[in-house]
Amino acid sequence: MRRHEVIVVGAGLAGQRAALAAVEAGRDVAVVSKLHPLRSHSGAAQGGINAAVGAEDSVDTHIYDTVKGSDYLGDQDAIEFFCREAGPTVVEMEHFGTIFSRAPDGSLARRPFGGAGFPRTIYAADRTGLALLQAIWERLATDASRFTLYQEWDLTRIVVREGKVQGIVAFDRKTGLFEGIAAPAVVVATGPSGRIYARTTNAHSCTGDGVAAAYEAGALVKDMEFVQFHPTALPESGILITEGARGEGGILKNAQGERFMSKYAPHVLELASRDVVSRAIATEVAEGRGFEGGFVHLELMHLGKERIESRLQEICDFCRNFSGIDPVTQPIPVYPAQHYMMGGIGTNAKGATNVPGLFAAGEAACVSIHGANRLGGNSLLETLVFGKQAGIAAAAYAQQSSDRPVVTDADVNASQVPIRAMMARSDGEDPSKLRAEMQATMDRYAGIYRTEADMLEGIRRIRALKARYANVRIVDRSQVYNLNLTDALEVGHMLDLAEVIVVGAYARTESRGAHFRIDYPKRDDARWMRHTLARKSAEGPELSYSPVAYTRWEPKERVY
Amino acid sequence: MGAKLLEAPIDVYRFEPGRDAAPRYERYTLTVEPHTPVLTALLKIRAEMDPSLTLRYSCRSSICGSCAMQINSKSRLACQTPIGPEIERHGRLVVEPMRNQPVLRDLVVDQAPFWRQYDRIEPHLKLDPRHPMPEGKPNPMSPEEVARFYETPRCIACAACFSACPAVEADPDFPGPMALAKLYRFVVDPRDQAHQDRLVRIQTGGLWLCLRCHLCTEACPKDVRPSERIRDLKELAIAAQGGTEPGSRHAIGFKENIRERGLLQEMKLVRQTEGLAGLVGQAGQGLRMRRKKPEITKKPRAIEGLDQLQTLYRELDHPAEGEP
Repeated sequence: MRRHEVIVVGAGLAGQRAALAAVEAGRDVAVVSKLHPLRSHSGAAQGGINAAVGAEDSVDTHIYDTVKGSDYLGDQDAIEFFCREAGPTVVEMEHFGTIFSRAPDGSLARRPFGGAGFPRTIYAADRTGLALLQAIWERLATDASRFTLYQEWDLTRIVVREGKVQGIVAFDRKTGLFEGIAAPAVVVATGPSGRIYARTTNAHSCTGDGVAAAYEAGALVKDMEFVQFHPTALPESGILITEGARGEGGILKNAQGERFMSKYAPHVLELASRDVVSRAIATEVAEGRGFEGGFVHLELMHLGKERIESRLQEICDFCRNFSGIDPVTQPIPVYPAQHYMMGGIGTNAKGATNVPGLFAAGEAACVSIHGANRLGGNSLLETLVFGKQAGIAAAAYAQQSSDRPVVTDADVNASQVPIRAMMARSDGEDPSKLRAEMQATMDRYAGIYRTEADMLEGIRRIRALKARYANVRIVDRSQVYNLNLTDALEVGHMLDLAEVIVVGAYARTESRGAHFRIDYPKRDDARWMRHTLARKSAEGPELSYSPVAYTRWEPKERVY
Repeated sequence: MGAKLLEAPIDVYRFEPGRDAAPRYERYTLTVEPHTPVLTALLKIRAEMDPSLTLRYSCRSSICGSCAMQINSKSRLACQTPIGPEIERHGRLVVEPMRNQPVLRDLVVDQAPFWRQYDRIEPHLKLDPRHPMPEGKPNPMSPEEVARFYETPRCIACAACFSACPAVEADPDFPGPMALAKLYRFVVDPRDQAHQDRLVRIQTGGLWLCLRCHLCTEACPKDVRPSERIRDLKELAIAAQGGTEPGSRHAIGFKENIRERGLLQEMKLVRQTEGLAGLVGQAGQGLRMRRKKPEITKKPRAIEGLDQLQTLYRELDHPAEGEP
C-alpha cells in the first residue's frame, strides 16, 4: 500500500491548482491522472477567463451577471467570493508564466462574452485553456520532487470507512496492477462527464470517473439535471467553436438568411446566455428554418482575414481540418452540443463535501456558482479559484487528522474481483455498445428540450442499460494498457451519472437555465429555487433538496 | 456529409512486447468518407471489430496531443489526418507507433524519453529575487513582445517532432525539437530572468546537434516550426556568448569564410571549428581529400562581385535606420 497525505485525482487546471496549494502547505501530495497532466481537457478551453479588471467594469457587475446567468440557482455568497478572487487569480496565472493576449497599452486584452455586461473575458488567442494549463504545470512541476505523479492511472474507487476517507484504489495502465493509495484527504478534480452524451464538445476521456466514485462512496451529487449545451459546435463531430467567435462579432443566420437571434434576445443578440442561444438554434432547426442536415450558420467573414486568423487561429484550423470549411470565406455550420455539467459533487466554497476527508473542485464539483446555466469564461476561473481552495482545505484537514487511514487488500479486491469476473466471461455485454446506446438515449431523452414522457422513457432505458451492465464483458485479457477494461469502467461510471441526470430532470417540474421542460415552461421560484441532491442507494438516486444561498440579488425574470 | 464513400484497407501495427514474439500488421477494412480522420477509423475498429487495439487518444480536435503516430511513415496526429488523401497518395494506409520511444503496446509508446528531454531544459519561468514581479498587477507586455511567442505556445507536446527527428535517433544528448522550441519560448519571455544562463548552457547541452533537416517542422501539427525556433536559439546563443562550441564556431567560421572570399575554405573551416588539435585529428582525412582534390588546401581566389557580397554582409550586420 502506498501512502500520502493528500491525493488529488485529476490533473487538469483544478487538480493541479489544488495540488500546488497542498504542496505549498507542506503536505506529501499524490497526483493521480489517467492522462498526462498536459493532455487534460482543460487545455481544450478556448475563449477565455473572466475577471472584472477594466476601469468601466466592476466586481459587482460580474457577480450580478453570474447570478442572473445562473437563473438564480447559484449560491450568491459563493459567487461573491468567486468574482472577488477573479482579478488576483488572473494576475497570479500571469506571474506563473501564462502568455495572455495583450492590448496596445500592454495590459491584458479583453473580449466580450455572452451574458456579460462588459468585455471581461481575458484570453490567450483562442487557446486560453492550453495557455493556463501549460503555465500551471510549469509552476507545479518546477520541482518534481515535491509531489508524486501517478501518470496514466485509472481511479476505480474512493475508500470510505467509519464515515471517513481512507484513500483510493486505482490501477496503472502500463502494468494493469491495482493498488491502494492511502491518505486522509482526497480531492476529486476529474473534470467533465460529457461523454454521457453522443453529441458533445468534450474529449473522449471526459467520463465523470471521479464524480461517479464519489457518488458511490456516499457523497451527495448536486444539480446534475443542469446540462449545458454549447450553441456552436461542428454538427458532425461536436468539435467546439468558441463563444469568442461571437464575442469577436460572429453572427448566426438560419437558412432563410435571417439573423434569428433578434427574435430571442433582441438586446444582445448572439451574446445572450448559452442556454438561450442553444434553444434558439434548436427551435429554428426544429421549425424547419435550418439548413439541410439540421444546422444553422455562424458567419465570421465580415470580420476580415487578419482578425479571424490572429484571434481565432485554432478555430480556423479546426474548420479547415475537420469540416473542410474556410471561415474567412465561408459560413461555419453549427448546432448545439453538450458542453458542460453545471452539476457535480456537492461542495461548499472550501471544496468540502458531506464526506469528511473528501474534497472536490472544478467541473467535477458543484459549489454552486453556475446554478442552472454557466456563463462562458467562468469555468476556467472556477477551476483555479476553487481548485486552490480545495487544495488548502484538504491540506489543512490532512495536517489536523490524527487517523492513520488504511486501504486494505479487501478494498483493492473489491475493485479487482468484479473486473476479473468481467474478463472471465465467455459471453456478455460489449461496453462500446452499452456506451453508444446510453449516449443515444441521453441525446434523445435528456437534451435541450425535455418533457415528462421523455424523462420517464429516459429513466426506463438507462435502468435497462444498467441491468445489462451487470453482465458486461472485457474481451481483451492483456495486463498492459488494456483500454477495453477502461471502456468497461468508464461506461459503468457514466451510467450511474446518466441515471442521476434523468431522475433529477424528471423530478424538477419547472424550466430554469439549461433545464427546459416543455410541459413546465416557466421558472417556479416558490417550489424550485433549491438545489437537487442525489445520494446513491440500491434503488437508484435518492433525491433531497437544499436551499439556495442568497445575499443581495432578488430573483427577476431573465431577459437578454 | 454526402461525400462518396471509400473502401479503406488499414494496416495497423500490433505488438505487445513480452507477450508477442514479433510485431505484426493487422488489416482492417472499413467503409469511410474520404475526410474521415484516421482516429475516427481506429476508434471504429475498437468499437466494432477489435476492442484490444490499443492507442492513446482523448480530445479528437488536435489540442491534447495524445494521438501522434506514424501514418504512412510520417509522424502525424491521427485526429487531424483524413483517410482519403492518404489512400490516394500512397495507395494504402499503414498506421504504426511513433519512433524514438519504445513501444508499450500496439500504437502506445513509452513517452519517458520525450518528457525527460522536456524536463531537462527547465521549462518554467526563472526569476531573480532582485527583480520581483509587479505586486498585484500583471507584467506589462506589448502585443509586439507577445508576437515573438506567437507560435511556440501552440505546442501540444504530441511528440510528433521527436518521433520524426533523426538527431534524436542518433544522439540521446539531443534535447529534440519540442524541448528546444520550448526553451526558445522562455528565452524570449521578458519575464524570465535566466536568458543568458539558459543560452550558455544549451550551447553545450545539445543545441548544435540539430541536423537542420526540418523534418520536425514538417511533422508539427500546430505550426510551431521547431527547426526555425532552433535556428533562432542558435542566433541568440552566438549573440550571447560567441562561438564556444564546435557547432557555433562552425557557424561563425562559415559566415566569415564566405565574407572573406565568397567561397568556403574547407581546411580553414576545420581549424575554426575544431581548433588546431582538431585539425591534427582530421589530418588523415585531409590528406586523402588533398590527393583527390588538390585545390582544397589552397586559399581560393575571391569570387567576382565580392564587394557586393560584402555590402550585403554589412547591411545584415548593421541594418540601416528605418529598416525592418
